[in-house]
Amino acid sequence: MIRNVSKLVGKTKEKKPHLQKNHEDSKPQDTLYKNFNQNVETFRSVYNNCSDVVFRPFLLFGKIRAMVIYIEGLSDIEKIEEFVFSPLMQEPVNEPQSINEFLEHKLPVSQVTRMNMLADCIESISSGNPILLYEGKSEGFSLGLAKWEKRGIEEPIAEGGIRGSREGFNESLEINTSQLRRIIKSPALKIQSMKIGNYTKTTVAVAYIDGLVDQALIEEITSRLERIEIDGILESGYIEEMIEDNPYSPFPQIMSTERPDIACSNLLEGRAVILVEGTPFTLIAPISFFSLIQSHEDYYQRFMVGTFIRWLRFAFLGISLLLPSLYVAILTFHQEAVPTALLLSISASREAVPFPAIVEALIMEITFEALREAGVRLPKQIGSAVSIVGALVIGQASVQAGLVSAPMVIVVAITGIASFMMPRYIAGIAIRMLRFPIILLAGTLGLLGIMMGIIAIVIHLCSLRSFGIPYLSPLAPLKGGELKDVLWRAPWWMMDTRPRLTGESNLYRQSPEQAPNPKRGGGTE
Amino acid sequence: MKNIFLLVLVSGVTLLVSGCWDRVEVNDLAIVTAAAIDKKDDNQIELSLQIFIPKALSSGGGQGGGTGGGGAVTLVTSHKGSNISDALSKLQSEFPRRVFWGHCKVFIFGERLAKAGIQEQMDFLLRHPQPRERAYVYVSEGKAKPILELFAPLERYSAERLREISDLHLGMQVTLQDLDEKLIGIAQAAALPRVDILPPEKGQEKSQGKPYIVGTAVFKKDKMIGKLTENETRGILWIRNEIEASTVTFKLGAEKGKISINPIEATIKLVPVIQNKKWIMVVKIDTEGSIIQNGTNLNLSSTKLIRAVEKAFAKEIEKRIKLAFQQTQQVLKADIVGFGEEFFRKYPKQWKENEGRWDKIYPEIELEIEIKAHVRRQGYINKPGGMPEKEVKEQ
Repeated sequence: MIRNVSKLVGKTKEKKPHLQKNHEDSKPQDTLYKNFNQNVETFRSVYNNCSDVVFRPFLLFGKIRAMVIYIEGLSDIEKIEEFVFSPLMQEPVNEPQSINEFLEHKLPVSQVTRMNMLADCIESISSGNPILLYEGKSEGFSLGLAKWEKRGIEEPIAEGGIRGSREGFNESLEINTSQLRRIIKSPALKIQSMKIGNYTKTTVAVAYIDGLVDQALIEEITSRLERIEIDGILESGYIEEMIEDNPYSPFPQIMSTERPDIACSNLLEGRAVILVEGTPFTLIAPISFFSLIQSHEDYYQRFMVGTFIRWLRFAFLGISLLLPSLYVAILTFHQEAVPTALLLSISASREAVPFPAIVEALIMEITFEALREAGVRLPKQIGSAVSIVGALVIGQASVQAGLVSAPMVIVVAITGIASFMMPRYIAGIAIRMLRFPIILLAGTLGLLGIMMGIIAIVIHLCSLRSFGIPYLSPLAPLKGGELKDVLWRAPWWMMDTRPRLTGESNLYRQSPEQAPNPKRGGGTE
Repeated sequence: MKNIFLLVLVSGVTLLVSGCWDRVEVNDLAIVTAAAIDKKDDNQIELSLQIFIPKALSSGGGQGGGTGGGGAVTLVTSHKGSNISDALSKLQSEFPRRVFWGHCKVFIFGERLAKAGIQEQMDFLLRHPQPRERAYVYVSEGKAKPILELFAPLERYSAERLREISDLHLGMQVTLQDLDEKLIGIAQAAALPRVDILPPEKGQEKSQGKPYIVGTAVFKKDKMIGKLTENETRGILWIRNEIEASTVTFKLGAEKGKISINPIEATIKLVPVIQNKKWIMVVKIDTEGSIIQNGTNLNLSSTKLIRAVEKAFAKEIEKRIKLAFQQTQQVLKADIVGFGEEFFRKYPKQWKENEGRWDKIYPEIELEIEIKAHVRRQGYINKPGGMPEKEVKEQ
């Protein structure tokens, strides 16, 4: 249905006016001039009204006019002084034959690149690498001295855990890629980068393991990324929405994570990781629905524990989606479906409540969502105040005042806890959101309505694709052997194969029959 | 965008227009916990409903309503009518909440009504979607309505008390569905537990009497034709393999004192035999029990004595079965155990030939009882408790 709607929308959509190009791109003159003054003037006009751009003129070897252009705070000033100005400003003992050669071979800077395009020079300056110009040369030298303040590697906040690495990605792309490289040391880990965003010029890198990944997937991802034409990328969420398969779905078809270990485990299963500069959240594609309810810790704990917790999660997934609506449906349509004693207790506690069950449920659920959102957005000190007020006012006072029945509060509380069981916050939100239409269905059509809601959701899930991978795989289409990582968490010595749909090109990840066994010296006698 | 909006609007309106028609809030329900149906003069019946009062439970709080003078959690309302539905519609017009049968687990037929025939009322209970097939059915001793009006100090209401007693399997336990199956079945006879009220002790109010199960009412077709006492009921329960918690107490030969045995497990086989036009029913019982009291001076850990006890145990069971069977077969002539069905299954041809004569054949069926009784456990002690060793007889 959703797809049809999108078709309808597609038909009625008018052609949007084409995005206006940036002023740099429309500049007539693209290469640098031979004339030093002219070059400097050009740069000055480009960086007109940019007080943070520093133009530092000096005399190269004491005689040639030269200039270093950099942005304050993005370049390492100490190093510029020590390794650029101090060797270049002195008159050398024996004059070098060519300044070019001197700069390229004798300057103690790790990266020196010659550029003759104005746009390249500007990009270099913007990313923190100073540009050196001197008289008589239509080229600029980009010096790799970028350095700016970064957050250190910290514990991932949204994806904590008891066991496992405590390192999280941060906002710096280089640090993020280096973390991947530190885990996967093989040169088969490839990282391709591109710049997206006409103004932000955000670096977006696609990481994958050559030989594990389906090359067509990388081509598809790259082509979808290249299609993006936007003025800025502030978070990977922008990219996610621009490249996912079905934009009209509440379910995320691309997973985001701030944990390098999760990113690497997905790389090893033949998926691609998209890293975006400026955010600790990297994207993983393609995914299936079940990756959203698997947690990294499932794999780090003993497999029985992992399996148990996974089952618990499945159960609470259902509770999170259905409990309030079941309560509403049973209380308004199917009163015979509850045990007598329970119905008597519920009816006693509901006696003074002025609202019908569905209104009660909606009030409580919406209040709960508001509380949750307020708690997330507020500073920590005030957040605790919100939760106290919420617990007291909603939990107790409203029941005592007879506005809400106690069983409803219990239902909402259990549902709230259940929705936080989802290891991926974003999937939890999708489920929480779908709860409301199902409550409405339950209140109007009873259990029948709930079934209709579930069927609609399942049909939608079946129709979803993530970069061509069926969203419910390996359950639909059913791949028996691969349920080892869905229905339960098989012990590591049984996980011989990668998921077939993403890791088909290199199916076996380990040698078989590695179960510890006394005969092989693995276990205890 | 316009299209999506339209779609949402249309589906939303469809939902709201079509749904909700049978929606009832719990606050608007009168939850019936038990129903009693009595026969009145001038060909009318009286329908009495025990209805739960939610307010009583919520204001009473955790103290538990219904204790003595603590206020009843149920009220009883009744109305006359020509049949249940008629009485119900009249009753409903005087009652503020919608009568809800979904949790009515106890139906009691008054004795007069039972004798006059219950088929007409059964139809309502089976046809209406709300009453449960698994509700228990009883016949009252005398009028049925007073049973609903009793307090139940231990349970929430008197119907709950009846249901719990039934769940102990001390008497017959018959659900609406069982009753229906029996009445439409081959034998056309049924049995229902009979409920009486233990009169209140002196100084207590009338409503403090206690309902309990006194035996069995025997139905032929849909009419009650007689009663079985509690002892006779036990015999029926043995054949129907419903015995669970009742103790068998007997004397062992000429010994002083009695032995009580609790049957733990029993497998019962009914083997119908037709020999020389003679219809015989062989009842094979294999039962296991544990001694729960030994009033004799015998040390029952000796195998010889145990064999004797087992024999006496078997004999006692046989006695009970025979007692019950004599009453149902010879006096009441109602096949409440379902022998007819057994014969029909094994001898479908002969059955077909004699189908019309079953009423005549049944009283002449010979009963052969083969009992294998075992005593497997003796409890914590072997020798009779609290008895000097000298007095204990070892052999």
